[in-house]
Amino acid sequence: MTSNDQVRRIEVDAGPRRFARGWHCLGLARDLADGKPHQINAFGQKLVVFSGEDGQLNVLDAYCRHMGGDLSQGEVKGNEIACPFHDWRWGGDGRCKQIPYARRVPLRARTAAWPTMVQDGMVFVWNDPEGNPPPADVTIPRIPQVEDDRWTDWIWYETVIEGANCREIVDNVVDMAHFFYIHYSFPTYFKNVFEGTSAYQYMNGDGREDVRPPRPSKSNPAVLGTTSVAAYHGPSFMIDEVTYHYEDLDVDTILINCHYPVDENSFVLQYGIIVEKKDGISDEEADLMATKTGAFIKYGFEQDVAIWKNKARIDNPLLCEEDGPVYQLRRWYQQFYVDAADVSAEMTDRFEFEIDTTRPNEAWRAEVEQNLAARRS
Amino acid sequence: MNAVRPDVRLEAAPMQPVACTTCEAEVLARKSSWDQSTLQWDATALERCIERRTTPARSERPNRNAFAGCAALRASIREAAVRGELDVQSDDPLRTNPEAIHD
Repeated sequence: MTSNDQVRRIEVDAGPRRFARGWHCLGLARDLADGKPHQINAFGQKLVVFSGEDGQLNVLDAYCRHMGGDLSQGEVKGNEIACPFHDWRWGGDGRCKQIPYARRVPLRARTAAWPTMVQDGMVFVWNDPEGNPPPADVTIPRIPQVEDDRWTDWIWYETVIEGANCREIVDNVVDMAHFFYIHYSFPTYFKNVFEGTSAYQYMNGDGREDVRPPRPSKSNPAVLGTTSVAAYHGPSFMIDEVTYHYEDLDVDTILINCHYPVDENSFVLQYGIIVEKKDGISDEEADLMATKTGAFIKYGFEQDVAIWKNKARIDNPLLCEEDGPVYQLRRWYQQFYVDAADVSAEMTDRFEFEIDTTRPNEAWRAEVEQNLAARRS
Repeated sequence: MNAVRPDVRLEAAPMQPVACTTCEAEVLARKSSWDQSTLQWDATALERCIERRTTPARSERPNRNAFAGCAALRASIREAAVRGELDVQSDDPLRTNPEAIHD
């Protein structure tokens, strides 16, 4: 056995005891605004999401302040959520509006109402451990393509990840090499830029011949390459604009990759896709493309999950020069876990990191060649 | 959560100051090879940068209006590396085109 002083130790700091400050997407309005209460387990709590007759989407603490009934098991009545236990009625502002069997509502009958926002078909909730409202300049960029008839509707997936802290998925934004080993991509250009509350990833990739269909056809064409600009806007919501390059055309897609923490050791991962219906692409073809892309991304995340479930949390990763800026990303990410007054310039100052892909690409070309040779034999 | 640690790669080779030859914005830079670069800006440097101020934001795509980087600064960093003022960690020589006509 190697002597102890030669071994590099994995170091683990105490995990965060709070949940990130910021807008978190809970899902699509078309699913959540159906007049029924929806239970959301997030930020170590149980929440209820509902929309009343006024169409307004509301997020409240799920536990009724009367006797602790679970409002997410209740019923929407008018613009209020009615507790299944004693029918106390709670409004979207968090105030108890009515107790059908009581002469009047007691004082301080108020529960926590979470700031919400519906934008581009998605429902967002604001989490702030300090309890402050969202600052006007902390926003999620608009995606005008969602309303555009030339783009498909959202295809949306949701999956619960148990046994991993959500920092693992955020780390992916800088992890170039995992895109080759986990996601069957072939990055040829990779750059990160962090500034303010956004973290960008510029990535171009070649198609991989070893994972392409052996005989590409019109319904199963070969991807020659991809161009992607992805960015986290805040701690949990990523927009990824990916263009797929085929032999005879380019197809533009917009992907959402977002999550909200259930607790320190689990999170809900959601992802959505819209695809541009270019001239020459029928609605059906675009929808099929979106579905196929979704299935491919789903597969990719499943591969991630297998890694996350088994890996160690590591606060002193040992990096080679061909790795991305993991430490600087975590420094950026830290801004969402400290009080707003403690956000320092080093967390938000602009930082750029461009990887030299020469050596990784040599190694990966050789590996692709080996895979192709194995396929032929 | 504890303070985030510094990048392990900086232990042997820290960031070094480089000034842009166009606007004189001073940033911290590091190059592990000719084609890799790490750049740390601060608020003063960002205010100075001319490209940042003059690059129009016109895209309808949500991520495409972000400033991807300054070409003048990129060139300045490369020049600093060629002049030997900024270290390049790898021993590989600068790739040049041998067919190019030199004056």
